[in-house]
Amino acid sequence: MKTVVWLHGDSLSAMDPAAQKYPDAERVFVFDRPFLEKAKLSFKRIFFLYECAAEAAGEIRVGDTAEELQEAMRQRAAGRLAVTESVSPRWRELVAELQGKVEVEVVPVADLVAVPADFEAKRFTPFWKKFGKEWGG
Amino acid sequence: MGGLYDEAPEKAVPSDFEGGRQAGLRALEKFSVRGYAGTRNKLHGNVSRLSFYIRHGVLGLREVAESVRERFGQSYDALKFWQELGWRQFWQLAHARLGNRIYEDLEPAKVNLGGSFPEELPEEIQQGKTGLVCMDESVRELVETGYMHNHARMWFASFVIHFRKLGWKAGERFFYRHLLDGDPASNALSWQWVASTFSHRPYLFNRENVQENGGKKWCERCEANCPFAATYPELERRLFAS
Repeated sequence: MKTVVWLHGDSLSAMDPAAQKYPDAERVFVFDRPFLEKAKLSFKRIFFLYECAAEAAGEIRVGDTAEELQEAMRQRAAGRLAVTESVSPRWRELVAELQGKVEVEVVPVADLVAVPADFEAKRFTPFWKKFGKEWGG
Repeated sequence: MGGLYDEAPEKAVPSDFEGGRQAGLRALEKFSVRGYAGTRNKLHGNVSRLSFYIRHGVLGLREVAESVRERFGQSYDALKFWQELGWRQFWQLAHARLGNRIYEDLEPAKVNLGGSFPEELPEEIQQGKTGLVCMDESVRELVETGYMHNHARMWFASFVIHFRKLGWKAGERFFYRHLLDGDPASNALSWQWVASTFSHRPYLFNRENVQENGGKKWCERCEANCPFAATYPELERRLFAS
């Protein structure tokens, strides 16, 4: 099945785990217009993201992310969208929206330390003492 | 991309910090962890300036940590640096748990923060025109480069929250707009850490701290009646008395 890799602001390089899993798939980045209109990031921030995306993605689009990704998939007759996991609520909303329309595969990130899914991060010191041993914690 | 940023055309120029993995790898290769632990709190200390790349997943946390281990082994400097990388994962875990609740007070404040908070920082603060050279120069660096040293971020946040009683949300938005490494969780939760709504006590600083970590140059050309020239007990009395 043909795959499109969605690169986003939390994983924006050719070494993105989803891109690594599907090295032959085209990589697409979308400047999310609804988010940017609200956030009003500085030009410097947007340009920095653009430089990352220009190096990593085959195509950069601007618009509603879910719509733009579906259009990118249609243009390539792709059946699967692969994307690297993020904790961002906006990312989660977009994935939930897309899952109702296309096949979405979420690829995990290589974390610094392994932490059980049910761990509640409240204060750093106990977190690091418990899980940071590989790195001297 | 027109209409998606606020700057006038003549101010819409790229940062000196270049985006992309190749630039990130060059910065990683250039970074030596030697001296990190002892100098990272100094404005001119040996900091990595890798946060832009780490925040956007251009460099992986584990990739950066392993690069330091391979090149420098396990030293006190390396341990301190890895701990800072650990903070990044901690913020991410907190964001995964809290979602958009990071934008609301997570705990009651431990001190009086005031009660009238603006949506945006006053113009004189955003434009670096308060007359307090240490604050104004930090803001200028942020706006002109997209970077501010971590210690200067803490001072600025403490100034906004505790000395000016403006709350933490307007400052959080200001940083998020400008910092090339602006991350929702690191940013909002760090502001809350300074405010004491995500920590046991508020973060305060004084002039001695600024001079010790930033040198005396700012103070030497500052003509303001310095609000930071006091001991910590004095500041606590002045800022937090109900």
